[in-house]
Amino acid sequence: MVLILILQFILTPVISPLCIGIVKKIKAKFQNREGASIFQPYRDIWKLMHKDEVISSDASWVFRCAPFIIFATTIIVGVNIPLFASFPLNGSTGDLLVVVYTLALGTFFLALAGMDTGSAFGGFGSSREVTVSALAEGGFILSLFTISLIIGTTNLFAISNAEVLLVTEFFLPTVISFAGFFIVLLAETGRFPFDNPATHLELTMIHEAMILEYSGKRLALMEWAAANKLFIFIAMGANLFFPFGIAQSADIQAILLSLTALFLKTFVLCAMVGIVESSMAKSRFFRLPDLLITSFILSAVAIGLVQIQSL
Amino acid sequence: MTNVITSELGFLILLFLYGIGANGSLIFGRNDVLANRWQSFSAIIGSLWGILFAMGAFVVPDMSFAFSSSISPLFSFSFHIDQLSAFFIFVISLITLFCSVYGIGYIKHYYNKYSIGALGFFYHLFIAGMLMVVTASNGLFFLIAWEFMSIASYFLVVYDSNDANNVKAGFLYLVMTHVGTAFIVVAFLLIYTYTGSFDFASIQSQAALIPAVIKDVIFLLALVGFGTKAGIIPFHIWLPAAHPAAPSHVSALMSGVMIKTGIYMMIRIFLDMLQPVPLWWGILVLIVGSVSALLGVLYALTEHDIKKLLAYSSIENIGIILLGLGSALIFTSLGNTPLALLGLGAGLFHTLNHATFKSLLFLSAGSVINQTHTRNMEEFGGLIKFMPQTALFFFVGSMAISALPPFNGFFSEWLTFQTLLQGIASADIFLKSIFILATGALAATGGLALACFVKAFGATFLARPRSSVVFHAQESSLSQSVGMGGLAILCLVCGVFSGYLGSLFVNIGTKLSAFQATPQILTISSGSTLIAPHGFGSVSAPVLFALFVLVVFTVIILIKFAVNKNQKTEIGATWDCGTNLTPRMEITSTGFARSIILIFAGILRPSVQHEVEYHDSEMRYFPKSRIVNLSTQDIYQSYLYQPLNSLITGLSVRFKVIQSGSMNVYVSYILIVVVVTIFLSQ
Amino acid sequence: MNITFLQFLLGVLFLSIIYLLLARKNFEAVVAYAVQSSAITVLLFASFMETNSIPLLFVVLVTLIVKAILGPVFFFRLIQKHKLTYSVSTYLSMPLALIIIATFTAISRFQQFSPLTYIIPAHHALLSLALSAIFTSLFLIINRKDAISQAIGVLSMENSIVAFAIFAGLEQSPMLQLGIVFDIFIWLIIATVFISMIYRHFGSLDTSTMKHLKD
Repeated sequence: MVLILILQFILTPVISPLCIGIVKKIKAKFQNREGASIFQPYRDIWKLMHKDEVISSDASWVFRCAPFIIFATTIIVGVNIPLFASFPLNGSTGDLLVVVYTLALGTFFLALAGMDTGSAFGGFGSSREVTVSALAEGGFILSLFTISLIIGTTNLFAISNAEVLLVTEFFLPTVISFAGFFIVLLAETGRFPFDNPATHLELTMIHEAMILEYSGKRLALMEWAAANKLFIFIAMGANLFFPFGIAQSADIQAILLSLTALFLKTFVLCAMVGIVESSMAKSRFFRLPDLLITSFILSAVAIGLVQIQSL
Repeated sequence: MTNVITSELGFLILLFLYGIGANGSLIFGRNDVLANRWQSFSAIIGSLWGILFAMGAFVVPDMSFAFSSSISPLFSFSFHIDQLSAFFIFVISLITLFCSVYGIGYIKHYYNKYSIGALGFFYHLFIAGMLMVVTASNGLFFLIAWEFMSIASYFLVVYDSNDANNVKAGFLYLVMTHVGTAFIVVAFLLIYTYTGSFDFASIQSQAALIPAVIKDVIFLLALVGFGTKAGIIPFHIWLPAAHPAAPSHVSALMSGVMIKTGIYMMIRIFLDMLQPVPLWWGILVLIVGSVSALLGVLYALTEHDIKKLLAYSSIENIGIILLGLGSALIFTSLGNTPLALLGLGAGLFHTLNHATFKSLLFLSAGSVINQTHTRNMEEFGGLIKFMPQTALFFFVGSMAISALPPFNGFFSEWLTFQTLLQGIASADIFLKSIFILATGALAATGGLALACFVKAFGATFLARPRSSVVFHAQESSLSQSVGMGGLAILCLVCGVFSGYLGSLFVNIGTKLSAFQATPQILTISSGSTLIAPHGFGSVSAPVLFALFVLVVFTVIILIKFAVNKNQKTEIGATWDCGTNLTPRMEITSTGFARSIILIFAGILRPSVQHEVEYHDSEMRYFPKSRIVNLSTQDIYQSYLYQPLNSLITGLSVRFKVIQSGSMNVYVSYILIVVVVTIFLSQ
Repeated sequence: MNITFLQFLLGVLFLSIIYLLLARKNFEAVVAYAVQSSAITVLLFASFMETNSIPLLFVVLVTLIVKAILGPVFFFRLIQKHKLTYSVSTYLSMPLALIIIATFTAISRFQQFSPLTYIIPAHHALLSLALSAIFTSLFLIINRKDAISQAIGVLSMENSIVAFAIFAGLEQSPMLQLGIVFDIFIWLIIATVFISMIYRHFGSLDTSTMKHLKD
C-alpha cells in the first residue's frame, strides 16, 4: 500500500520527460529527419540543474518561488488522478474540481512570474496564457462533468473504477466529450494549434515567453512542470475516458498489467498529439476562442445525450 | 454572563454600543486624534460583542421580541433573531472588527481635512442600521432601518467631498437606492393588501391568501428592489461609482456586507415568507446570477481604476451567490429539499467567504491608494518592494477570490458546482440546459476572475514602477497590517475548516419555512470533509492543505539542497534587447486585458479613438502629439437609463402645464377635487 | 444490431457534420462528406446483413458507388478545375453557429418531438441525435454562402434522413429504398449538369453574386 502511494507520487515526474521525447521524435520522423533520442529531455533537465542562475533585479519573491510551487502543483495533481490504480478511493483529495483548480493555481503563479521581471515578452505571454486558460476552463470542467454524470460521482478514482463506459449506450457521449477534452489538452499544455513549444520567435510565444527570464534550476523545474502537465492530461484522458486495464485490486499482476496499459495508452495519445502537431499550423491568436467554444459545445451536446436511469 | 449576552437584552446592548459610539464621535469632533480613537475602539468593542452574541444566538432557540408602540397597530419595533439573522450579524460584526482595527491607522489620512467626528457618527449609524435590517421583523420597521442604512452610507460615500466625482457618485447612489426602495415599498404594500399585516411572522402564516399572479408581481418587485441593493446587472450602475468614492474601510464594509443585506432579504422573502414558490422564480434567479457573474468579471477586466475593478468583482460574486440561491429555489419548487439545502448552504458559505476576501482586497487597495494618492493602476508597479506586507495580503486575497485551493473561495465554489451538477443530473431536458448554461458561466467566471486578479496584482505590485508616485510609498502602519493580516488568516482558516462550517450552513437552512415540511437530514459535511449528496463527491480541506504544504516543502528542500548544492545565483538586469530598460516596456493593465476585451467585443463594445495634432495643419505629415483613447461603452447608460431618463423628463415637461402660476387656477383645482371626492365617497 | 456499433456510426455522422460547419477549405468539406457517406454505406450494409433482402443490397451498392466514390471525386475535380480552394465566409460567426447546434441537439430531446423519437424506444437517443443532424444540415445550408457547401449540405441532410430511417427500423419499406435510388439519380443530374451550368452562367459559385435570379 505504501509502495503504491510512493509510486503514485513519483510516476508523474519520472515518466513525463519521456512523453515529451516521444512527441518530439514523432514530429522529427514526420519531418523526415532522425531527431533527438527519446531520452534527451532527461539529459536536458540534468544539464539545466547543474548550471548557474541569473535572476533579474526587478524580480520579487513571486519570481523566485513560482517554479517550486508550480512543480509542486503538478506533483499534487499527479497524486490525485488515477494513474495505474483505481482502487484507492481517495475521498479526500481525488476530486475533479480539486484537480482543475490546482492546475489553475499553477497557471496563476506562472502568469505572475511572467509579469514579475517587467520584460515585454513576459507580460504578453501572461496575458495570452490567462486568456486561453480562462476560455478553456469551461470545456475542461464540462467534459469531465460528462463522465462524472454517467458514473454518478466527481471522484476521479471512482470514475476509473466503474466499468460502465464504452461498451454500453454511453459510448457516444464519452467519445464526443473526449473530443472536447482533447482540444482542452492541446490548449492547456501549449501544443498546436494554440502554441508552438519549439518556437524562437517571441511574438508567437505563449508559454515560452513567460519562462524566458528563467535559468538554471528554476528553468529545469519549469520545463519539467510543463512535461508533467502534458503527462497529467494524457493520463486523465486515458484513464478517465478509456479505463481499460486499470488495476482494481492490490495484487502485483493487476498492477503490472495496468502499468503496461498505461504506457500503451500514453504512447497512443502522444502519437496523436505528434500527428496533430505535424499536420496543422499554429492558429492566429484570435481564432483560438472559436476552437475553445467548440470544445465547450461538444461537451454540452454530450451531456445532453446522457440519459440517466434514476437518481 | 452568557445568558445576558445571548438574550434580547444583549442585542439591545449591541445597538446601544453603536449608539454611544456615534454620539461620542460627535462630541469629540473637535479633537481629531481623540475622535479617531473613540470611534475605532467603540466599533471594535461593539463588533466583539456582536460576534459573541451571534455565536450564542446560534445555539439558543429563536429570539423574538418587540416593543409595541401606540402610534399605529401596524407598526412596532419588533425583532426576530433566528439562525439566519444570527449568521448575518456574525458576518457584519466580523468584518466590522477588522475594518475598525484597520481604521485606526487609515483615518489618520483624513486629519485636518474633514471632520473625523462626522465620519465616526455615520460609520456607527451605518453599522447599527445594517444590524437592524437583518433582524427586523416588521415591514415598516424594516423599511425605516433600510433607509437608515442607505442614508448613513450616502454620507459616508460623499465624505471626501473635495473631489467632485465623489459627490456625483453619491448622488447616483442615493437615487438608485431610493428607486430600489420604491420597488420594495410597493412589494410590501401589495403583501399588506392581501395578508392584512406587516409583521413577517403573520405574513408567513397567511402567505396562502395571496393570489398567484400577485405573488409573481411581488417576486419581480422584490427581485428588482433588493437586486438594486445587491448590485445585479442591469441595476448595478451605482456600485462602480459609489464603492470607490467612499473611504476604504467603509468601501470594504459596503462591498463585503451591505450588498449582502439584499441577499438576506431575498432569502427571507423567497424561502421563508412566500413559500411555496413556482419553478420559474428559481430559473429567473439562476439566469440573473449567471449573467451578473459573467458580465461583472468582464467589466472588471476593462477597468484600470483599482477600486472600480474590485467593485465589479463584487458584482461577479453576488452572481455566484445568486447561482446557489437560484438552485435552492428550483429544488424547493421541485420538492427536493436536501438539494435545496445544498444550494442554500453554498450561497451562504460564499457570502461569508466573499465578505472576508473582498474586505481584505479593499483594505489593501486602500493602503496603496493612501500612499500613492492615485487610484489609477497604470501608475503603479513595483510596489512589492516598497510595501511587502500589503502586497502579501493583497496576494492572499487574490488567491482566495480566484477560487484557488487551499483558501476559502475554492470550497464555496466547490459546493456551488456540486449543486449545479445535481441540477444537470435532473431529468427534464429544459432544466438540464439551464443548469448546463449556469455551469458554463460559473466555469468561465472562475477562469476570468483569475485573469482579472493576475492583472490587478501584477500591474500594481510587480515589475518596475511606472511613475514617480511609487517611490515615496511606505509600508502600512501597524494597525492597518493587523486588520489586513487578520482577514488573510481568516481566509485560510475558513478554507481549511470548511468541513466544520458546512454543517453549520445546513443547520441555518433547516430553520426556514421552506424546509420545515419535510425534515430530511442532509449531511454536507462529516467532520473535516465536505460531502456532496448521493455520493457524488467529497473533499477534505485539512488533508488537501497538508498535502500542499508537504509537497511544496519537500520539493524546495530536495531541489535547493540535494541537487547541485554549489549553484551560484547572480543578480542581473532583465533582458532588454540591447536598449535601456524603461517602465514603458512592461505590460500595462489595459494591455493585459485587451485580448479578452477584443474576444468579447460584442458584449463589451470597445472603442478606439485617435486624436492627432500636427506641426503644420496644412501639410498633415508630421504629428506633434497623438492621443489614443481606449474605452468600453457603457451600454446600460445608453440603452436603459438614458431612454428612461428622457422619457420621465419628457413626461414631466408635459405635465408642467398644470402649474400655470395663477392663484385662481389652483383654488379651482381644490374646489373640483373636493367635489369629486365627496361624490366618490358616497 | 449492436447498439455500440450504431452509436459509433452515428457519432461519425454527427462529428462530420460539425466538421463541415467548421471547415474553411472546400477540400476538407468534401473529405468530411466522403467519410459521412462511407459511414452511411456501412450502416446500410449492416442492416442488409441483418435482413438479407436483395433490394437493400442493390441500394447499398448504388450508394457506395455514387455517394462514397463518384461524388467526392466529382467534387475534387470541380474544385481543381475552377480553383475553388477556400470556401466563402458564413453569415453567422462561429460561436453563434455552435450555440445554435447545441440548441438543436437540446430541442430534439423535447417532449414535442417524442412521437418521432420514440418510434423505437430503445433507439431513443440515436433517433433524437439523427433528428438534430437533419436540423444542423439545414442550418449548414442557410449559413454558408457558396454553392458547393450548400450542395454538400443538402447531401448530408439526405444522409441524416437515411440514418434516421434506419434507426427507426424503416429500411425494409420499399418507399425508402425507392427514395434512396431516385435521390441518387437526381444527384447524378445535379452533379453533372447543373453545377457546370451555374458556373458558366454566373462566373462564380458564390451565391451572394447570384442574386439576380430573375434575369
